[in-house]
Amino acid sequence: MDSEVYIIGRDAVPQFLRLDAGEARSMTLVVPPGTSARLGLEIDLCGPGASLDLAGVYLCNDAERVDLRVLVRHSSGGCTSRQLFKGIVGGTARAAFDGLIYVAQDAQKTQAYQENHTLLLSGTAFAESRPQLEIYADDVQCSHGATTGYLNPDELFYLRSRGIPEAEARRLQMAAFLAPVLSRLPESLTEEIYAGLP
Amino acid sequence: MDDLIRDLSAQEYKDGFVTEVAQEYVPKGLNEDIIRLISAKKGEPDWLLEFRLGAFRKWRQMTPPQWGHLKLPPIDFQDIIYWAAPKRDEDRPDEIDPALLETFDKLGIPLHEREVLAGVKPKGGVAVDAVFDSVSVTTTFRKSLAEKGIIFCSFSEAVREHPDLVRKYLASVVPVGDNFYAALNSAVFSDGSFCYIPKGVKCPMDLSSYFRINASGTGQFERTLIIADEGSSVSYMEGCTAPMRDENQLHAAVVEIIVEKDADVKYSTVQNWYPGDAQGRGGILNLVTKRGICKGSGAHLSWTQVETGSAVTWKYPSTILQGDYSTSEFYSVAMTNNYQQADTGTKMIHLGRGTRSRVVSKGISAGYSENSYRGLVQMGPAAEGARNYSQCDSLLIGSRCGAHTFPVIRNHNPHAVVEHEATTSKISEDQLFYCTQRGIAPEDAVALIVGGYAREVLSRLPMEFAVEAQKLLSVSLEGAVG
Repeated sequence: MDSEVYIIGRDAVPQFLRLDAGEARSMTLVVPPGTSARLGLEIDLCGPGASLDLAGVYLCNDAERVDLRVLVRHSSGGCTSRQLFKGIVGGTARAAFDGLIYVAQDAQKTQAYQENHTLLLSGTAFAESRPQLEIYADDVQCSHGATTGYLNPDELFYLRSRGIPEAEARRLQMAAFLAPVLSRLPESLTEEIYAGLP
Repeated sequence: MDDLIRDLSAQEYKDGFVTEVAQEYVPKGLNEDIIRLISAKKGEPDWLLEFRLGAFRKWRQMTPPQWGHLKLPPIDFQDIIYWAAPKRDEDRPDEIDPALLETFDKLGIPLHEREVLAGVKPKGGVAVDAVFDSVSVTTTFRKSLAEKGIIFCSFSEAVREHPDLVRKYLASVVPVGDNFYAALNSAVFSDGSFCYIPKGVKCPMDLSSYFRINASGTGQFERTLIIADEGSSVSYMEGCTAPMRDENQLHAAVVEIIVEKDADVKYSTVQNWYPGDAQGRGGILNLVTKRGICKGSGAHLSWTQVETGSAVTWKYPSTILQGDYSTSEFYSVAMTNNYQQADTGTKMIHLGRGTRSRVVSKGISAGYSENSYRGLVQMGPAAEGARNYSQCDSLLIGSRCGAHTFPVIRNHNPHAVVEHEATTSKISEDQLFYCTQRGIAPEDAVALIVGGYAREVLSRLPMEFAVEAQKLLSVSLEGAVG
């Protein structure tokens, strides 16, 4: 299944989505460099068997303000949702990710996962992450994970010791970090993003 | 399985008795005169009265925080007695009322030093500061601790005997206007424990405070101040219980901990306030501010809490990691049953370079309860190479309870690493089946599984506490399993 791709600032992005029984949807949100955005997205899984595969990437290397709010609501049992958001924040940019998984009472057999990873490139940048779970049913598997960090110096050393210039090595590291999301995009867009890495 | 849940709800709260003892009160309500009266009863110096009045004026401007995932019953602050104390026998003012001794005996809190000294009980015991409603009844082992230069006494005594220390550190970690309940506490705080460990001293025994609410219509507002000077170390424990009543009683405490360079403080709490009955009537409203600061480099502060009681818990023991390479940990088990609500977690504020923190939170919710983890991990611009790892697990028992996780991660430093993960699950039929087919009764099986789930935290508690906590967990679970 191909993922629907939305480029923030170029495409119209839905704000509210409803997935009925058995419906499956895969979406990828891209916040390209130079875009400040505040985005609210609410997805309601209303029928058993609905499944959502959501990913996003935000690249802010300058002075952008990015604020992503995602609410995935499991109103019905037996649904699956998966979220993966990755961001690179540098310059004087500020990026915030606020993601809530809501599991309604009696929405049993829910499976919901959420991941948010951020790389912070400069001391003047700021990243905030608020992964949240609000769960009212017991027979569920829900988890989330969030990390913020920086480019691993050991990896950088490995690459440089093999003759790859530092700037190039950093770009490779960032490309590898973003790869799980970028692999969902059409090739032309992926190339554009690679070229725009700091 | 459903029957099992029902059985579990029918639990007993064994510390719910009332001690019949003559008590004196200040009049109901809160105004400047009441504060003056409390201050006069305690014979406080002027600066402390001014501190209280200043806090009261600030408090009147403030509103209660609403952001917790809690349904708080409305609290009428004018309908609370802010100071209650057992009357002293006029003829024998130095003796402790036998009824009080009996109470603490019943609660398993030893107030007799001689038994330990005579070797009846194992050595190395625990020094206790026992607080009954608004006053400290006694503090044990003061003399042997004083030989090492350690000050361990009630807060009121500290104000009288060590005013310089109290004045220097009071409200230095939790400012008066920090939040609504901290301001209220600063205005009306009664007794609590004071502890000072001088430079380089390792405290030879565990120190502990035991808080007991007895009088009806009152609240408890204790204040604890712990100061660990350079290179010292101490393990501090706190326990609490209250009688069973249909009314809600307010408990708004403030705990401040100052950890100087290379000092080590371990703070453990087993919170067992009356949780209310199975229909959610009564219980303690536990609205507490606890905060420590790792002031110097290499300081270490460890929080361990087991929260099983209280109708409502609102509590976030936090650490400010100011000193370079200071470290802090937060280990928590929060268990809610019936209609209990808990919103608890921690804040780790990393300011110094190379600071490290670790958060392990285990929530267990059963019945109709709500259990939330709320946390903040913040990396300041100077926190080069700081690290945090947080893990929050929730266990749901029954389909009518809620388990929530609300972490916030704020990173200002490109050389700091924050990792957070959370999971939510229930006790699986497979696990239960495995135990029951080996002849373990379903209740015991659940207690076993929950014990295993909480082990990482319980193993951090001092020995006597760990045993007690394990028991509490299985009692609190009674009637909850399904």
